[in-house]
Amino acid sequence: MELQLQHLSKHYGTKYAVHDVSTTLSPGVYGLLGANGAGKTTLMRMLCGVLAPTFGRICLDGQSIEKLGEDYYAHLGYMPQDFGFYPDFTAREFMRYMAAVKGLDKKEVKDRTEELLKLVNLHHVADKKIKFFSGGMKQRLGIAQAELNSPDILILDEPTAGLDPKERVRFRNLISDFAKEKIVILSTHIVSDVSYIADTILMMKDGTFLLQEPMAAVTDCIRGKVWELLVSDREAAEYSSRFSVVNLHHENGKVRLRMIHETIPAADAITVQPSLEDLFLYYFGEEAGTERSESGYVSKI
Amino acid sequence: MLVKYEFLKILRKKSTRIVMAVSLLVTAFLFGLPILQFQTYHQEGVIKGFEGINYEKEQTAKYAVSLTDTYITEAIREVQQLFDNPDYVGYDGHERFLIENAYWDNIAPKEALLGMIAKNFANPNESVGYNSLPELDISEGVNFYRARQEKIEKLLNASSNGMSEKQKTYWQNMNSKVDEPFQYGYYKGWEVIISSFELLTFALFAVCIVIAPVFSGEYQAGTDAVILSAKYGKTKLTTAKIIASYLFGVLAFTLHVIIALGLPLAAFGFEGWDLPLQIANTTIPYPLTFLQAALIQLSVVYLVLSALIGLTLLLSAKMKSPYLVLTVLAPVLFIPLFLSPNGTTGVYNLTLFLLPYRATVPELGNYISYQFGGIVFDAFTMRAILYAVLTMIMLPIARIGFKKHQVSA
Repeated sequence: MELQLQHLSKHYGTKYAVHDVSTTLSPGVYGLLGANGAGKTTLMRMLCGVLAPTFGRICLDGQSIEKLGEDYYAHLGYMPQDFGFYPDFTAREFMRYMAAVKGLDKKEVKDRTEELLKLVNLHHVADKKIKFFSGGMKQRLGIAQAELNSPDILILDEPTAGLDPKERVRFRNLISDFAKEKIVILSTHIVSDVSYIADTILMMKDGTFLLQEPMAAVTDCIRGKVWELLVSDREAAEYSSRFSVVNLHHENGKVRLRMIHETIPAADAITVQPSLEDLFLYYFGEEAGTERSESGYVSKI
Repeated sequence: MLVKYEFLKILRKKSTRIVMAVSLLVTAFLFGLPILQFQTYHQEGVIKGFEGINYEKEQTAKYAVSLTDTYITEAIREVQQLFDNPDYVGYDGHERFLIENAYWDNIAPKEALLGMIAKNFANPNESVGYNSLPELDISEGVNFYRARQEKIEKLLNASSNGMSEKQKTYWQNMNSKVDEPFQYGYYKGWEVIISSFELLTFALFAVCIVIAPVFSGEYQAGTDAVILSAKYGKTKLTTAKIIASYLFGVLAFTLHVIIALGLPLAAFGFEGWDLPLQIANTTIPYPLTFLQAALIQLSVVYLVLSALIGLTLLLSAKMKSPYLVLTVLAPVLFIPLFLSPNGTTGVYNLTLFLLPYRATVPELGNYISYQFGGIVFDAFTMRAILYAVLTMIMLPIARIGFKKHQVSA
């Protein structure tokens, strides 16, 4: 199975949210990274057929998704960012409703609903109205509904946003379980989430793909550009103003700095293994400042 | 399955329950008002409420007769004889009237009947009562039905009506089907119903309020992305939403209709259902009984409901919020309430009579007709066709609107 994006663009007047994106996706987990406004959500909406591209087209195994219609949607599971629920429905009713919209057989609906509610640990509150659910419970229900039809293409837009660390780990594991033999596109600005489960990283900036690399090789381009250095408090402030400091850690009265720089920033700086977070910050710089705080880093960029 | 869930979505909302409760109370109040305010008179004074209703029913029952020319001539003669006795006659400077026992014993019980007879012999648009009967020449008996026919001819030929020959022929043909002689009797319940249909406008609006979020509520809540990307989101779900909306609309409106018709009929009685409309106004051209007229008008109102549901769904599919839907619907429904017709012809009047609020008024005696080439339609038929066509036009547009909806921030 292949999902082909052919010169995909979405323009709003003279501005564009997605511009001339082309790629072919085969089964695997794709981590879609980008700062806010990079075009991730717009791209995902187009992939889900709920937003028409201005130019270009999306094909599943060579056939336009527009022409495939129901046949395409039958392959699709989508969990949008901040999507609403029906507050007066119970979790079980919502799942059964979504199962009906997804065209599941009547016999299948009950078993699949119970199975997924159990999997996302909501079975004990299945008859509780959604309006009484916490954010985390809603997120879990969101992924459960996306998985109802056992989709071949699973699109998850910021699925871990607003979850506490424990829930995020649980969520990552869930996604890994669902991901087998599927095309999973996972958008997030919490870089650590994708670093655990993604096979391929798609990095978006200004509506285009900046980078499309397998996870194992994605940080190669900044190898030798990430440095660590142990300095005094006073020196730390000085380095922070001069370099891109991605982490700052106090150790026995000293400060360990992690920096990204093309050349060695100080004689005693040592190169370290680059991480996905480093790569993200390398590309997005100040744009990513707000996101980084969620990942636990101290931003000085 | 989908219809069931869509229906549940509508029903479970707190706003649905509040709007329906308020609307049912308003309908009960509006249709209960003629009962609460009913009063009639006898020699001792005013009798109100159910006592008054029963009294009037008893009095009118005595005059449940066939209105033959002989009966009418005799009824007029009795009135004329009373007026011949100066002891029975009062004068207020403008007109003569009967007083005391002469009035209470002979006129009061059948004043509506005598008024109807008097009006039949008067000129169109002339307001007269029983006290105009002494002016009639009954030396050779009266021909009530010929007088009716002549009055209708005057109405049709009045220059202010501006009717074409085709339209006149249409009404004359319809009139020729009215059975004679008329059977008279008590029909108060039906009179209240037929004259109060427009009060159902509030129920129509209440239904629109409840179904306004059917599509736009999904956009507003952010559930559109999930359902539109599901297999049947753009196909069967849209149909289910439309069916559920109609199911809810028809059931909710029927509940209002039961109250609207039930209250007057329970209080005033079912009697009169088989009597001809003409005993309320002799120039009514429709050859219908009160029940038939009420049912036909009710059918038209249901078609108005159908088109309004269609319009609401169309707007709902196209607009981002249910509130925006209502800002369009409220003027469509209620602006005509403040517009008055100034005749029965001309584009302004003919358009006004077709607007939703006006379409709930039967306009039984107003000779409103629409001509397209050689074909003429009365108001009932024209409204029925218009609202059926509008429904058929608006539903596919609503479907496409939802199908083509773009999920954007």
